[in-house]
Amino acid sequence: MAADRRFLLLSAGEVLVVAAGDLVAALVLQVIVLAAFLGDLRGLPVFTVAAVLFAAVIAASGTVFLPLVGLAAALGCGYVALTLRDYRLARWAAGGEA
Amino acid sequence: MIRPTRTSEGVAALALALTVTALLLTSPAAALAAGSLALFLLWRGWRFERDLLAAASSLTVEREVDRTILRQGAAATVRVRAEIAAPPGMVVRIRDLPPAVAVGEGARCDPGRTATYTVRLMAPGKTAFCGVVIEASDAFFSRDLVCRGFDAPHLRVFPAGTVAAGGGTGAGAGDTEVDRKTALAGQGIRGFRPYRSGDDPGLIDWKVTARHNTYYVRQLAGLEGGAPLIAVDLPTRADGDPEVFARFSMAVYSAVEGTIGSCGGCSLLVVAGPEIVRFLPLTQDIREALATLGGLLPAEPRAPLYRAPGPVFLAARARLPGIGSSEREAVFRERLGGVLRAFAAESPAPFAAAVRAALGRTDASEVHLYSLLPAGDRSHLVQLVYEAKGLGMRVVLRAPAGAGALPGVDAVEVL
Repeated sequence: MAADRRFLLLSAGEVLVVAAGDLVAALVLQVIVLAAFLGDLRGLPVFTVAAVLFAAVIAASGTVFLPLVGLAAALGCGYVALTLRDYRLARWAAGGEA
Repeated sequence: MIRPTRTSEGVAALALALTVTALLLTSPAAALAAGSLALFLLWRGWRFERDLLAAASSLTVEREVDRTILRQGAAATVRVRAEIAAPPGMVVRIRDLPPAVAVGEGARCDPGRTATYTVRLMAPGKTAFCGVVIEASDAFFSRDLVCRGFDAPHLRVFPAGTVAAGGGTGAGAGDTEVDRKTALAGQGIRGFRPYRSGDDPGLIDWKVTARHNTYYVRQLAGLEGGAPLIAVDLPTRADGDPEVFARFSMAVYSAVEGTIGSCGGCSLLVVAGPEIVRFLPLTQDIREALATLGGLLPAEPRAPLYRAPGPVFLAARARLPGIGSSEREAVFRERLGGVLRAFAAESPAPFAAAVRAALGRTDASEVHLYSLLPAGDRSHLVQLVYEAKGLGMRVVLRAPAGAGALPGVDAVEVL
């Protein structure tokens, strides 16, 4: 129930971010909303830096489509890296080499 | 691989909705919101993996079993306690994995608490626990990580009906009836035959070997007719009631043990469908035989649609008489017979050839065939029976009651 309530708050926060219109205001709001959603702030600066970089790319490109395509490609690479890391973890736990 | 929870699925759906909104409205704010949510999920996944690695590195398991040397089928009580340092936000539980040959589920326990459960070990030999599973989850992801390193203590399981060797003075005596034909001094020698790979070097007769300039082994009179061959037909996993299979494997183990005890040795042939899984030509060592059978499990056949009758059946069909049939039918039968004859002659039937070669390497005059005789393809068993009959062996089928029989067997016994 608590998770559902927090997810509703996140959704409402995202509506606020989209309504902000200005990119800088949207970025600040987005970080605040996600920090409130998380509760545990360990490692949040790493995510914030990534979000700032993405906002910079959007501002520099002046479009929406290309940054999203670029982000999709980057996320694909990240997913592959995550899968590889998970595979190494599973091998290490099974007694093989990491 | 890590699994998303409902929350992360919701976040992903939200990111997708914001992406559509950004593309439709050309809104940079919506694109930022969508992209940052996707980045957020990737970051959380990365952090979950890091936390799981840290937790797994700190895992320690203490496991105690009430007995580490026990008899096949006996129950053992296991107490397990795991300590793990779970990072903040991560919920961790530990599930113990019992040995592969055990019947029974491992227990789940919270870190720092002791859980107790009971397993029953169904196969003889040395065995160990399969490790533990770390069941970790946080708000966004969950993962079951199998850690194989924690396998202590090692267990030793003796076949039902035997006693441990070296059990001290008097071990194995008492009311146990012993009918083993031991190689006593003065035991008669039936004859000699050339040495074959796998023969006991102690049976080499050096005088005959020197005379013929090639190795010859003695064939003892006590083993006249040769030790029987025990053939085991592994069922498929789909056939499977585990309890029935456990009884089946116990019957096979008992038979091997009994045959070695009474006949002084036996040969072993394990097939799974039309494939020879294991073959042991002739052994007098019960440990070697049980090791060969060790970890018998239902197997998936590599050729599930085998259904090959084999040359013997084809030749028999080719000889079918056409009595009482019309002229057209007689002509048809004659042509079919010709085709089958040609096919029977040219069919290589690799499984039949492999079985023939295996049977040829044994001295067996009798084959004890153990099978659950599941419904479906039994043609590999038919081929096995006919190859044995072709070599003049007597075939005894041991199958569950009501499972039916196979053509050509000399006797059927209920398991």
